[in-house]
Amino acid sequence: MKLINKVLYTCLFFLIDSSVAMAQSATTLEDTFKIGPAIILILLLVTFIMVGILNRAKDTSTYWAAGRKISPIGAGMAIASNWMSAASFLGMAAIMYGSGYHGLSYVVGWTGGYVLLLILMAGQIRRYGKYTAADFIGDRYYSQGLRAFGAGLAIFISFSYCVGQFAGIGLMFKWILGINYTWAVIIGASVVLTYTLISGMLGVTKNMQIQYVIIIISFIIPLFILCYKFGYFFFLPQVGYGSVISDIVSGIAPGKGISALGKEFGIMPSPEFAMPWDPATGQTAFQWVAICFSLMIGTAGLPHVIQRFYVVPRAHDARWSVVWGLFFICILYWSAPVYSAFGKILSASPEGGKLAKDAIVVYTAQLGDVYPLIVGFLAAGAVSAAFSTVSGLLVAGASAFSHDLYYRVINPDASEKTQMLMARVGTILMAAGVAIVALMNLGLIAQLVAVAFSLAGCTIFPLFLLGIWWSGSNRAGAWGGLIAGSSVSAIALIYFIAGKFGVTLPANAFFNYYLNAWYFAIFGAPVAIFTNIVVSLISKEKTPFKVVKFLAEKVHNYKVT
Amino acid sequence: MTNSDKYNVNFFRPMSDHARANRKLVLTLAIIWAVGVFGFQFALMLLNEPTPEKSYTTFESVWPAVVEDASATIEMKQDFSRVLLSVLGKNIAVKDHHKAILKEALSWAVYSMQADTLKNVFQKELDEKSIQTAVQSIGLTSTGMDRIMIDLVRFSLQKVENDQISAESKAALPDIMELYLVHNQNIFTKARFLGFPFHYWYTAQFLLIMFVFLCLTYAVVTDKMNKRFDFVEEA
Repeated sequence: MKLINKVLYTCLFFLIDSSVAMAQSATTLEDTFKIGPAIILILLLVTFIMVGILNRAKDTSTYWAAGRKISPIGAGMAIASNWMSAASFLGMAAIMYGSGYHGLSYVVGWTGGYVLLLILMAGQIRRYGKYTAADFIGDRYYSQGLRAFGAGLAIFISFSYCVGQFAGIGLMFKWILGINYTWAVIIGASVVLTYTLISGMLGVTKNMQIQYVIIIISFIIPLFILCYKFGYFFFLPQVGYGSVISDIVSGIAPGKGISALGKEFGIMPSPEFAMPWDPATGQTAFQWVAICFSLMIGTAGLPHVIQRFYVVPRAHDARWSVVWGLFFICILYWSAPVYSAFGKILSASPEGGKLAKDAIVVYTAQLGDVYPLIVGFLAAGAVSAAFSTVSGLLVAGASAFSHDLYYRVINPDASEKTQMLMARVGTILMAAGVAIVALMNLGLIAQLVAVAFSLAGCTIFPLFLLGIWWSGSNRAGAWGGLIAGSSVSAIALIYFIAGKFGVTLPANAFFNYYLNAWYFAIFGAPVAIFTNIVVSLISKEKTPFKVVKFLAEKVHNYKVT
Repeated sequence: MTNSDKYNVNFFRPMSDHARANRKLVLTLAIIWAVGVFGFQFALMLLNEPTPEKSYTTFESVWPAVVEDASATIEMKQDFSRVLLSVLGKNIAVKDHHKAILKEALSWAVYSMQADTLKNVFQKELDEKSIQTAVQSIGLTSTGMDRIMIDLVRFSLQKVENDQISAESKAALPDIMELYLVHNQNIFTKARFLGFPFHYWYTAQFLLIMFVFLCLTYAVVTDKMNKRFDFVEEA
């Protein structure tokens, strides 16, 4: 007991001491080791790992689908936590901070997609009753080749989604530990990998519920403080910041309060922050619509999102888990723009210099002179957001590798033990690969994640949409659609990567605008769906009766007499 | 119709009452969803009108005289400087190469307002005294927005290399001003709701509420529909 008291007092001393130290050096936004936030982060990680160990996976079905023991509200929290990644926590505010109204396309795209997912797929996917996205594709289109391709896509999509998350983890570890970005990514990647390997999916699901609570509390507390401190309606910051937006448009004369930089809160009139598709942002209405559309259909095609519906007991629970999940997600999405608005004003002083947009959430709290430990908690919340998503993604990628590729295609006789081993090997390989790509700094977090959405929208979404709603869609059509969608994706990505390496390809401006890496699904998805339909119609192949009957009876409740 | 045809699943050709009811529900919600999200954005596009800030009108009125120089009064140059500062105050929204042109133009405007004996102060590295001189020349006071502008002067003023504003800056400035000082506005952007510009509230908050409501409606109606059509979903 004495020992525990001693440890607690020591921790308390460090926390108080660190907060004083931080207050004294409020102008130093980064590059210093912040012991208070570091202790909070370590405590959170230890909690997550403890919960993971207590609920660790014992066999493959537990590892993949958490034993189907989760309630709709619990599953909703897990969906929300799984969904609210570094892109939601850090990236959305960053985009809005830099591009104003344009950034709202991410807010709308990342929530509106759940409506599509629910009304078109959620219950049906659960009724179909498979473990992974590739399982569904392989069975519905009766093709081992498509199963393997689907597994490969799931890995690729999870991989590209992870890149943005690792970048977010790197930024926050950099901020907390005061180390350079490279080491921050390496340390962060190692920790999240260890955690995923120890816990498996049941641990992940339990953790996701805890993580949701931490994410949302850490995200919202600073908003109450900011609104209170600068004289806005603080009982509900999500409403109170409306006046902040209007004030940014008309300008704020200094006098509302002092920021951490010793500067008075104020900004010159900046309508470009709120006006739709302002020329100053360099973004157009087409891009707004394209991003919004791509994110929406990508939501309904992401393997790790679809996979969440397999962990609920019934289709009814799948539907209600989406309702709860979306509500929980929206709490954060209603709040994220508040950071961009305060960030816009608090960083308006040229003295602040250029701030990394992706860390603007934390900088805003820091610049607003929020109590340092609360800022530390916010940063730890950002890490939790990235962790919860990354662990889900790594499990989805490992499942695709071990279950869909290795067990179902390469070695059907593999024992449970071998499958578990392959799942773990897959997780390690994927984490290492993602960390390397994350170090290349290819774009903003939200943009990097948007690539995964477009990929899913061009490839997996059409297969699920047509596979569920049209029994006429056959193997040939699926291949046709998949090749068309993949080709559009490949073109967009080739132009993007070439641009990053300074290579100018023919019709560069055209492709970079209309087939941009952040929103190529605006064309890719319709092309894939159209090709799937046309090839299905012109091919003589009929979908096997067994598949059609299963679809009609089990998924759509047809009662043929 | 063969027995196997009776099993055909096609969203647009439902084969059972349950499927027909489901199609109606899905289509209704999808239409509300699409119109709610994209319909409103298209309405914004149609209604948008380029609307200048007050600073842009000031810029248009003083720019010809400032370019010709000889006809520009001190007051005009002060107004011109204030307009430049109002754009520089947009900070992150302004591209770096535009900032460079704006800073050059501001430094030149301040320089041109000085008496010949003071001009040399602005041709070398600037110190606190020259900053204060610039602030006084522009006529900035320590009240209201001027306080922000004083800060901006400190970070924007630079050494003047030439007696004239460069040809490149001259050519670029009108476009830069139009880019940052003219905005898409319409009835929805001017109206206020809960303190927000209406269009912003609609997109950032209402649409999310609508999504949750649509999902809730779907889940409730589907449960009722399953009961009505005696569809037991297997565990």
